[in-house]
Amino acid sequence: MSGTVLVVDDSVMMRKVVLRTLKMAGVEFDNILEAGDGQEALGLLRENVVNLIMCDINMPVMSGLELLQKIKEEKLAPGVPIVMVTTEGSEPQVRQAILAGARGYIRKPFTVEHIENNVKPLLVA
Amino acid sequence: MFESVSAPGSYAMEDFLSDHNLTLIDETVSEVFGMMLGFTAEAAPASAPALSDLQERTAIVGFSGAMRGSCEVRMSIGAAREIASAMLGGVPIDEADDSISDAVGELCNMIAGGWKNRVPSLSSLCALSPPTVVSGSRYRVHMSKPSAKIERVFRFEEHGFQLTLQCEERDAA
Repeated sequence: MSGTVLVVDDSVMMRKVVLRTLKMAGVEFDNILEAGDGQEALGLLRENVVNLIMCDINMPVMSGLELLQKIKEEKLAPGVPIVMVTTEGSEPQVRQAILAGARGYIRKPFTVEHIENNVKPLLVA
Repeated sequence: MFESVSAPGSYAMEDFLSDHNLTLIDETVSEVFGMMLGFTAEAAPASAPALSDLQERTAIVGFSGAMRGSCEVRMSIGAAREIASAMLGGVPIDEADDSISDAVGELCNMIAGGWKNRVPSLSSLCALSPPTVVSGSRYRVHMSKPSAKIERVFRFEEHGFQLTLQCEERDAA
């Protein structure tokens, strides 16, 4: 798949796991951008065009929910699917993320099937 | 003896110490290991000897909100290496690789989150701290108030790890 994916997670290991699982699900991009927190992701989004954002919620410096808010305020990445990938799977948080602009939600731990069911449809739509 | 707290949004100590909670913990560990690592993890019998590896790696995640406490995952370097390698699809990992600590931290995070999401009174009312990873074995985690502790040893492949959940006693309303 041509384009760029941005993976935001404070864990390097989890970023690798997300990228590996995307690949196993047949969701592969030409370019990969990685950020360790929301602030770093914001910097990358101001300078790059991306086609998919996979984002953790619970991160230092700037959380995933704060990042969603900033993306909305600055009108960055219009129309780009943002999928939250997090251990925080409670209903209010899912609602909060969706209201803030997330298009999908995947709870850790996850499998290839979760990516296929929750990410792939967002890319063909 | 711990007192049950009935205030809304709080978690009762007897629920924490119940057999049902052990089932929830075991289910969580099994799910995390099965889905993220492709391993079967099973709780060792209570009579099983404690883990004695000296070169340990421990990850700690704190709970706050409806419950204050911690989740600790403690294992040998060998076990941590096996987990880091499995997370990356079987890639060999060097003992000095930082991803070992990262993997144990994420494992702890997923177990802590998976467990609290299974407890309705905690799911949306309890927050997790980012994981902290400690090297070595001569340390203790102190709670600021008296707390109850659940220690459980799990086995996977040829390794084991110890899971410790601590729950602080709450002030009576």
